Amino acid sequence: MSGERRLSGTVLIVGAIAASLLLVGAYLAAGGSSYEPEKVQDPCKPREWTNPQSLGQIANQFTISALDGAACQLGVSRETLARALATPEARERFERRYGIDDEKLAKAIRAGLVRAVDDAEEAGALSPLIAVPLRETVQRIPLEQAIELINDAESFLGDVDSFLGPADDIIEELLPGGLGGLVSP
Amino acid sequence: MPQSPRPRVAALALAVGLVLADSSIVVLALPEIYRELDTSVSGVTWVLVSFNLVIALAAVPAALLARRAGPGRSAAVGLAVFAGAGLACGLADELSTLIVARCVQALGGALAVTAALELLPATVGSERRAATVWASAGATGAALGPALGGFLTELVSWQSVFLLQVPVALVAAVPILSVARDEMSTRVIEREVRQTGRPHLWANLALAMVSAAIAAALFLLVLLLIEGWRLSPIEAALVVSVMPLAAVLSSKLADLVPDARARAAAGAILVSGGLAGLAFLPKATIALTIPPQILVGIGLALVLSALTETALGGRAPQAIHGGWTISSRHAGVVIGLLVLTPIFTADIEEQRHDAINAGTAVILDSSVNPLLKLDLAEKVSERLDDEQGKVPTIGPAFEPKPADPVERAEVEQLQGELQDQLDRGATHAFSTSFILAALLGLIALFPIALSRRVDL
Repeated sequence: MSGERRLSGTVLIVGAIAASLLLVGAYLAAGGSSYEPEKVQDPCKPREWTNPQSLGQIANQFTISALDGAACQLGVSRETLARALATPEARERFERRYGIDDEKLAKAIRAGLVRAVDDAEEAGALSPLIAVPLRETVQRIPLEQAIELINDAESFLGDVDSFLGPADDIIEELLPGGLGGLVSP
Repeated sequence: MPQSPRPRVAALALAVGLVLADSSIVVLALPEIYRELDTSVSGVTWVLVSFNLVIALAAVPAALLARRAGPGRSAAVGLAVFAGAGLACGLADELSTLIVARCVQALGGALAVTAALELLPATVGSERRAATVWASAGATGAALGPALGGFLTELVSWQSVFLLQVPVALVAAVPILSVARDEMSTRVIEREVRQTGRPHLWANLALAMVSAAIAAALFLLVLLLIEGWRLSPIEAALVVSVMPLAAVLSSKLADLVPDARARAAAGAILVSGGLAGLAFLPKATIALTIPPQILVGIGLALVLSALTETALGGRAPQAIHGGWTISSRHAGVVIGLLVLTPIFTADIEEQRHDAINAGTAVILDSSVNPLLKLDLAEKVSERLDDEQGKVPTIGPAFEPKPADPVERAEVEQLQGELQDQLDRGATHAFSTSFILAALLGLIALFPIALSRRVDL
């Protein structure tokens, strides 16, 4: 078969190595080995508040801080706790799995809410005038209301603002340039 | 009156194609079987493992039986058993029944395939031509298998993949029956077995390793596409058809290189390179699976033909040595699946855990309304939990969308980010298994290097 084209075995092997290296190299260069799953953050580490611009954003960060504080107290991740608080069934599963009863959960959530108030005050999002009574209130709040507060912080903070807003106006009159909005974006 | 050999050659080729394509046809039906029979990924793997294990164990004894009892009779009986067991597979409503039927089907298949290799030389006129017809039939079956399996699973059902094998096996058996009748009437059965040496250890060992890598490539890719990227069986079938298509299109390349050992080595390197490419996919997109599949396809065309030639070259009887190559290839598939299944099952489980946490973290850190985000976090984690390893379309968890356009846009962006995170996580879950499969292909280079140089 002298008329047929032949290819050397060495050329074929070198070609195979080159093609394989080229493909793997190109994929690695394009980020093929860079995937890292989203890391779950330590809830006990302080989480910085990012200059909230609206009541919704304050409520958002308030919720995160509260979850962080409660999760830190319980020794679970913020993500696990958030899923547990979404429905009564999820809460039951969580309590069974981690051996946490309602009392322990309530205590942790209250601690989380206190941390949220502290963080909000420190970030200038909550007036000291309201932070003090609010801190006292959340330390005595029943479990169901505490969970509701985490779930719907915006309504709660909105209610606080509308209820105590006139007081802020009075202070503003007495102390021009004073405390500003009680819940101040 | 002498009969034309064509129908018989076609029937034998059909029988070989049907049995050797079985694994690639069934692999597309596995995700559906997994869901419908409510089993685990490890459990459903046994639908494939049991068939390959029994063929690996039965191929050589079946070849000996075919020579003693008569290849015509053996092929006809083998096809009848294959068809009957195929019917039982199609009617199975639980995994254990399906696996038992698959074992019986494999026994019939082993008998039919080895007997076909015994019958072919006399039918086509030469052992070399017979080996070519036999290898081509196997390659064609493997090429058509994924597409056929995907279409049948999606358009009809997973059961149809097995039920369709029944009439095809019976059609293939008809022309072979005349050979069986001749054997019965003449009672002349060749009982002599020419002794021409032991099986080619290194070539068969390399075949086993490369087959493990190739089986892993097909099996893992199908699982990634259907379970990870949520493609339908038809879509997955079209995607994975690139591999056998590349093998068929590049088969002429083997004719250009006379050195079988070089072809085997180049093929093993390409298979490993392609698998490594699949391990390092930069994005969860179908297009990026095409180049690695092309490398695997070209590689398998080169390595399987070269190693089969080396294993059969100068050895007789072909049926016995063909039996050893079938045994090695199917043993390799079993090893590949048994080694890699627990690894990727554990990786998928870990990925599911990471995905649930990552999904919740992405939602919690988003700017959507807290009331909505906690509800979303629960719904998304519920979907991930329910799917038990499958990466779901998380769209339903985001329904109904908020009416407010700003909030709606935020939710849609969040949904996109989360799905991307989950898709990349699913892709990453298969990386270790693809790398290990690539290593199996590279390890095959040792027995290839030790195999006798055969220039054809």
